[in-house]
Amino acid sequence: MGKQITEMLKGTLEGIVLAILSARPAYGYEITARLREQGFTDIAEGTVYALLIRFEQKGLVDVQKVASDKGPPRKVYSLNAQGRDYLDEFWKTWVFLADRLARLHEGGK
Amino acid sequence: MYDENKRGLIAKVIGPKRQWREYRARVRRLPDNYRATVEAIERYLMHFGSMDGNNATALFEDVADLFEAAAADGTPIRAIVGDDPVEFVEALIRNYDAGGYVARERARLTRAIGLAAGDASPAGDDEPSR
Repeated sequence: MGKQITEMLKGTLEGIVLAILSARPAYGYEITARLREQGFTDIAEGTVYALLIRFEQKGLVDVQKVASDKGPPRKVYSLNAQGRDYLDEFWKTWVFLADRLARLHEGGK
Repeated sequence: MYDENKRGLIAKVIGPKRQWREYRARVRRLPDNYRATVEAIERYLMHFGSMDGNNATALFEDVADLFEAAAADGTPIRAIVGDDPVEFVEALIRNYDAGGYVARERARLTRAIGLAAGDASPAGDDEPSR
């Protein structure tokens, strides 16, 4: 079970993080904290960070450097128009998948 | 001797010396356990990271950014890298296109199979992105 959820999350974490950013801008640490609140307890901060770099490269987020009272400046990520389109696409794909899987599940009963 | 080998590799992998020195200086300023973690990641990247020099530099800087912030926040190492450090480092590597022989071989595979499959215009100019 533990392993299965890890594998399934790999394909969906991107959408999950974009959905979190669509609520309000956040920096890496906050995003991981919000994931924990939502019950995604096993997601490493580094994995989220790798995704954020990817979003930045793909132009899905705007990045603002904000000074921090401790340590280096933090990058605050906010979803831009392109990111919102990408998230819409993710939800469409998700609904399609969930629907097909539900049918398979029903058929198996 | 380890250092000698490493310098040779770095010259090939990391490109500009100055950026590399800056990166090393940042790593040296990290608390011991964070530094040990970054050095372990660095070693892995030297062996398995297949990006070109510029991408390698960007990737090492990403790693330094992450661990500087983590050290300042006091985030435990395990919370950053997770249960499977390999998984985490591979996720970082996937952000950058491969360079060198990996890129060449991927293009060759795509081209050869394009020809074998009889595609009208075999792909291969574009490196498969991952």
